[in-house]
Amino acid sequence: MTSLYLYPVWLRLWHWINALLFLTLIASGVSMHYAGADWLMPFATARVVHNTAGILLTIAWIGFVVVNAKSANARHYRIRFRTLIGDLTAQTRYYMVGIFRLEPHPFHVTEAMKFNTLQQLSYLGVMYGLMPILILSGWAFLYSVYLPETLFGLGSVWVVAMTHVVVSYLLALFLLVHMYIITTGDTVFSNLRAMITGWHRESDPPRTETSTPAPAPRETP
Amino acid sequence: MNASRDRAARQGAQFHSDDPRRTPTGGPGSTPARVVRFGWSLALWLCLFAFGASAEQAAAAITEPVGDAVDRQLADAAADRHTCLRCHAMPTLAYRNPENGDIVDLSIDREGLAHSVHGELACIDCHRRSYRRYPHPDRPAPGDLDCIGCHEDEDNNLSRGWVDIDAEFKRSVHAISDSQEAADFSCHSCHDPHRFRPAAVGEPLVQIVRNHNAVCVSCHEELVAPFSTSHDWLPNRDAHWGSVRCVDCHTPVALFANHEILPAEESEKNCVSCHSADAQLLARLYQFRSEEDIARSGLLAKAIFNEAYVVGMSKSPALDRLSLIIMGLMVLLLAAHGVGRYLARRANRRA
Repeated sequence: MTSLYLYPVWLRLWHWINALLFLTLIASGVSMHYAGADWLMPFATARVVHNTAGILLTIAWIGFVVVNAKSANARHYRIRFRTLIGDLTAQTRYYMVGIFRLEPHPFHVTEAMKFNTLQQLSYLGVMYGLMPILILSGWAFLYSVYLPETLFGLGSVWVVAMTHVVVSYLLALFLLVHMYIITTGDTVFSNLRAMITGWHRESDPPRTETSTPAPAPRETP
Repeated sequence: MNASRDRAARQGAQFHSDDPRRTPTGGPGSTPARVVRFGWSLALWLCLFAFGASAEQAAAAITEPVGDAVDRQLADAAADRHTCLRCHAMPTLAYRNPENGDIVDLSIDREGLAHSVHGELACIDCHRRSYRRYPHPDRPAPGDLDCIGCHEDEDNNLSRGWVDIDAEFKRSVHAISDSQEAADFSCHSCHDPHRFRPAAVGEPLVQIVRNHNAVCVSCHEELVAPFSTSHDWLPNRDAHWGSVRCVDCHTPVALFANHEILPAEESEKNCVSCHSADAQLLARLYQFRSEEDIARSGLLAKAIFNEAYVVGMSKSPALDRLSLIIMGLMVLLLAAHGVGRYLARRANRRA
């Protein structure tokens, strides 16, 4: 059993704040989108909640980008292009076939690299692709009066609205997959526990040692 | 005439008025007789002065219909208007009410009248018995200036008849209010009959909304005064005022009854009435725009861009359905994957 302290306090805090904001934004967003149904938040409440959560999410996102640019955390997002195709194939094959044959996970988490290639690509796509679009379109909604009458020959508000809606559906889809994939760790809850305690636990020790030696395993608090 | 009346009917209360603050000439106001007499005598003097200079211009400005016997009536009407407008087209025809110092404007904008829905009528069609002779009497005779008297016929193009409008008006806060300011409220208080004309397809919506609301604000001016705290509860108040007609919220939402003006406390305050898929108010407001959309860009574009104007209206049913189907399939896929993993582990344990 290896224990790695992979998720420092700031990161876990950021992660769970993001999670809370995501759920709040989905609940209030759905309430506005399908306004009128009894089981939803009242429109006026949903509007305020959604805007507030959106502003907080913006701050959280900027914080993430700044910290990632300044700290060593960014290295986890650096794609290893040389082995990209091989890693991607192995990871995809594992989720589609290997996992049912109880094969060992093709990727081994280390302090130097905590994400597998699929995780890297999806997190990069979400944090540097979808999130900025979501946030920008959200703010464009708030300040739509300052937008030009048309964008790309289409009504501005319509473009903004559709972008926001499509990206939010994609992010909800990401959330679904994300919540499922975390159950594919050593045990169903080991990844969830890691994000709560900060300690990643893995029963199989890495077969090949990486250049950065793992610190002496410590007991999980 | 019927065609233009039909148009007016279809468009409900859409009308133009460059300056709705003008007092409709000869309206059933409650001006004291003494003041009226003073005014008319002043007007007479002004007429005498101006007659020589303005008669020729007035004659040139009015296009005399010629030819058909059908046009005979129009020619008579034009002649009648010519006679009246000799005085009333003068922009300076006014007098100061000695009681309160207000300028009472008796002038009629010739262009406005010509373009109005009543532009083809003779003045005495509305200003009946009492205004045939000169000097004019102090106050209109009974039956004069009676909108419903003319507009009583059932109009097939109208979802509700003029009689219904009359009934709506009688329920409106303007009719039932005890306020001194609402005394003698009539059709003319809002609809200047010398300027009223339906909004035409192609006119900018913003302009239509502005013209509409200018009528309300011409009396309720305190609402738009600087630092007014009215409608403070409304998010983006000024944006709403620029794009929503007052009557859209201040009439019953469920009914197309925009002459039943509601008191403030009964007016619409529910955002969802507009900002949702099933938005009756928004539909009412953008009815005109929809017509224009279809005329300009065709049905297909309308189908794509429909419901996309306002925050919360950004729904595309097709997109929603597709997204929900994809998400549903994803949930099924993940569930199947989970079940597969569970079965694999169980089989492994047994082995």
